[in-house]
Amino acid sequence: MGEDFTQQIRDKAKELLENGAVECVIGYETGSDGVSARPAFIYDAAEVDRLAFDNTCTHNLVKYLLDKKGKSTAVVVKGCDSRALNLLLSERQIQRDKVYVIGVVCPGVVEWGWNKRSEQLQKRCNWCRQHTPVVSDFAVGEPITEEPPAEFADVAEMATKTAEDRATFWRDQAERCIRCYACRQACPGCYCIDCFVELLDPEWVGIRIAPDENWMWNTIRAYHLGGRCISCNECERVCPVNIPLSLLNRKLEQEVLDLFDYKAGMSEDAPAPLITFKKDENLGIAE
Amino acid sequence: MSEDNSPLVIGFLCNWCSYAGADMAGTSRQAYPPNIRIMRVPCSGRVDPLLIVKCFEEGADAVLVAGCHPGDCHYTEGNYHGRRRFALLRDLLDFMGIEKERFRIEWISASEGKRFAKVVSEFTDEMTKLGPRKVG
Amino acid sequence: MSRIGVFVCHCGTNIGGIVNVPEVVEAAKAMPLVAYADENKYTCSEVGQGSIRDAIREQKLDRVVVAACSPRMHENTFRKTVATAGLNPYLLEIANLREHCSWVHSDSKKATAKAIDHVRMAVAKVARHESLFPKQVGLTKRALVIGGGITGIQAALDIASAGHEVVLVEKEPSVGGRMSQLDKTFPTLDCSACILTPKMVDVAQHPNITLLSYSEVKEVRGFVGNFEVDILKKAKMVDHKTCTGCGTCWQKCPEKVTSEFDLGLGQRTAIYIPFAQAVPNKPVIDMENCRYQKYLKWTQTEEGKKPPECRICEKLCPTKSIAWEQQEEIVTEKFGALVVATGFKTFDHSVYGEYGAGRYPDVISSLQLERLMSAAGPTEGEVLRPSDNTHPKNIVFIQCVGSRDDKVGRPYCSKVCCMYTAKHAIMLKEHDPEVQCYVFYIDIRAGGKDFEEFARRAQDESGAVYLRGRVSQIYQDGKTLKVLGEDSLIGRPVEIDADLVVLATGMEASEDADRLAQTLHISYNIYNFLIEAHPKLRPVETQTDGVFVAGAAVGPRDIPDCVAHGSAAAAKVIGLLSQDSLTTDPLTAIVAPMKCVGCFACKAVCPFNAIEEQTTRDGRIIASVNESLCKGCGLCVVACRPGAINLRGFTNQQLLSEVMTLVRR
Repeated sequence: MGEDFTQQIRDKAKELLENGAVECVIGYETGSDGVSARPAFIYDAAEVDRLAFDNTCTHNLVKYLLDKKGKSTAVVVKGCDSRALNLLLSERQIQRDKVYVIGVVCPGVVEWGWNKRSEQLQKRCNWCRQHTPVVSDFAVGEPITEEPPAEFADVAEMATKTAEDRATFWRDQAERCIRCYACRQACPGCYCIDCFVELLDPEWVGIRIAPDENWMWNTIRAYHLGGRCISCNECERVCPVNIPLSLLNRKLEQEVLDLFDYKAGMSEDAPAPLITFKKDENLGIAE
Repeated sequence: MSEDNSPLVIGFLCNWCSYAGADMAGTSRQAYPPNIRIMRVPCSGRVDPLLIVKCFEEGADAVLVAGCHPGDCHYTEGNYHGRRRFALLRDLLDFMGIEKERFRIEWISASEGKRFAKVVSEFTDEMTKLGPRKVG
Repeated sequence: MSRIGVFVCHCGTNIGGIVNVPEVVEAAKAMPLVAYADENKYTCSEVGQGSIRDAIREQKLDRVVVAACSPRMHENTFRKTVATAGLNPYLLEIANLREHCSWVHSDSKKATAKAIDHVRMAVAKVARHESLFPKQVGLTKRALVIGGGITGIQAALDIASAGHEVVLVEKEPSVGGRMSQLDKTFPTLDCSACILTPKMVDVAQHPNITLLSYSEVKEVRGFVGNFEVDILKKAKMVDHKTCTGCGTCWQKCPEKVTSEFDLGLGQRTAIYIPFAQAVPNKPVIDMENCRYQKYLKWTQTEEGKKPPECRICEKLCPTKSIAWEQQEEIVTEKFGALVVATGFKTFDHSVYGEYGAGRYPDVISSLQLERLMSAAGPTEGEVLRPSDNTHPKNIVFIQCVGSRDDKVGRPYCSKVCCMYTAKHAIMLKEHDPEVQCYVFYIDIRAGGKDFEEFARRAQDESGAVYLRGRVSQIYQDGKTLKVLGEDSLIGRPVEIDADLVVLATGMEASEDADRLAQTLHISYNIYNFLIEAHPKLRPVETQTDGVFVAGAAVGPRDIPDCVAHGSAAAAKVIGLLSQDSLTTDPLTAIVAPMKCVGCFACKAVCPFNAIEEQTTRDGRIIASVNESLCKGCGLCVVACRPGAINLRGFTNQQLLSEVMTLVRR
């Protein structure tokens, strides 16, 4: 990684911008603290040297493709991010022929540290089973053989608590939520023009910031990503009050795997589990 | 829960099978507890999980969704879609502390008046035993 | 601001006897937006409807809630009521206080509380109702009748005589159905064939009827007035255009197999017509048993000699009509209305171990007896024991075999068995005065014109001995059958040496009735009998507009009922097809273009292909609803995360309002 990956990305970006294949390259550059990466939008071949790749490149840049509809764009993706490409392709939010994918094999990214490089691997990278991008036009790094499906130890632990304890736990989280919607803004699967939470008619969720409303928001946010969440965990990373959103996401990820044998974003063609069905499936309800 | 500690059960019944089944329960005078409040929807596939979450958010003790038996949907496939959505939602709600038992899905045909009454009676009894939701 | 009127019905004492109606009215008056509330003895009566109309005018109401019986009962009635007072008919909501409340609860206080809640929900919902306007669509003035028994024949003839084209689909090689297997009919003792055959011929000759025999309905698409049906035409292997029905082939065919029509008592050939008066009177080849087919399929690896090539039918056919190249094919036809008249089959008595589980040749079903009694049957009308072809003298009848019996999952009464057994007793005595009939029965059900007199005649004139009780066992003792039972009226066991035992097998839904019902989106009960829209008031309609049901497919019925039913369904079809356009249900989905993100989850879940793609002026591809295809299920609405699709009549706003009024007090 490091120097070598950075150079490969710069070279490819230069080539793509020079021959006019893309209008913009979305990648990472080093931020103003001189350490941590931030998203970079390169429109000019002369500026490709701004691009960098290291273990602080945490953002899922696929989200930005939603603002580039119809325009030829290259994007740097890590393994986890790449699954969002398939999600958005299957939901017709992006067009494959307009996107050039620079796929980087990612060994893991570290927690954010101001002015200094953290050595702490992010939590999500511990359960990561998608180091190698599932889609790429240009691969950076040697593919890693992926290990078996992720463990859900923390999810299982939650299930051992009593219903009352679980309810209390999520009630506490809802009380801390400030409904800033950072989770939604970071999520590549959240692209509705009008999010249900902000509709005034029907008013699914009351406008006031209160536990009931916040609980409803967090529940439906998770449900709307059921069978669609690609486990990049950006929502949890950006949450300013550290609500463990990944618990909800991964609970659903596990159920989707168990009930429907489905993993989101692995292919452009596989229909998401909630828009298809099998006639003779036994889902443990009304049987 | 109301003041006499009887659970509030909200029932979403599909127009073609289960609502008709509930009508049949009435026509044949099959008694069941008066806790349930019934909403008519065209299809169990019309029942938005948002509605169910809203019921629980606002303090309902239990939700029943009833539709046509698999294969018998008036719209061919509505209950198959409903089945997937509800299966996932029920697991999510359970994970968040709303017990699986509180969200019940049943297939009740237009001729199953007796079974409708039985389902509602059992469900209401079960909810009375389970007691009110402790948090929420 | 809306001005909502609430009309609470006592329904005599049906609602008012349990629910405190004045209390509901008072509660309604206090509900938001309610401008007026009143009660009626019978809201559906002319007086009740008049009070709604008056109140709309006098109180300037713009929305109405009727709190009465199920909307499935009277929603349309009250839509018309409000429409006559100038309101849009869709500005109405029904609160179900009868079927869902007073009829199922006995605690007046709690039932009243529930009734108030149901009114509260209806008020909250109706406040969000919008005026809806049905559209007019064209229709195909043709009808499909499924099933060529007496019911289907009657329906087809009536529709065709009114001037509409009819396609009659029959899965067997001939029309006629069960009635064609009967010898005589009760209580008049008309010869079944004599009254049925002319109708069968009429069907074949009617210029407006296309008969598709040996065919089945596979798929049904579309909606009332505009159905598209895939019909499977099985390969007959005979060109019916050139075949004259001369009969040479079926007389000369060397392959003899058991006749289905004669229920195992006779034989037919591999190329065959099921019975002499068959319509069409042209044969089909049973490919399972045809020797030429066996010859073609024979492979070297099999044991035994290669069968002869045969092809005798082909060689002898004077019109060269044998068509070995024929394949089954699916034809797609358009219809405005469908009639389902798929009839019944008889109960298989082999599940009854006490009656010999089908092992004794002289224990037969009543339909088999019909074949033995029929002059066109395998014994040419002589009643002979299947085991040794002798004339039975002591004949025992056992009633309710596969009827009124929970043990075999058939708790219902098959309605016709009491009468046909009386007929058998009378006829057998006429055939042979030495015959003595014994009838084991539970009750004699002889409700119907001349029925009781007929049943009496079997006992008083024909000397049949009626024994009230069940048979516990039948066993073979040499040439006789020992029948052990009980006469429960005198409380004594009975033992009869019988030469023949006839089981009055009940009626059950025909094979595949459930599959067909699923294809047509109509309901069926746990016995697979089809469910009518209302058991009393809409006996031939179904929940799916344009699909009608008739005859024994709905439940056990005798011939006159089936004929009446067939004509009733025909009358409904004729009424439908006499219109020049149809009004569509406006409860369809609608897309809010500004909210649609074009993910097309709606399209993926729509069972009716009603979601189309449309490009906005700013170049976005979004969903739109083809309203003539949309059936209003609302699957798309739930699939739509941003809430860009809504369902008229069941909008997100309406359903949420209902929920909120329940949970938030």
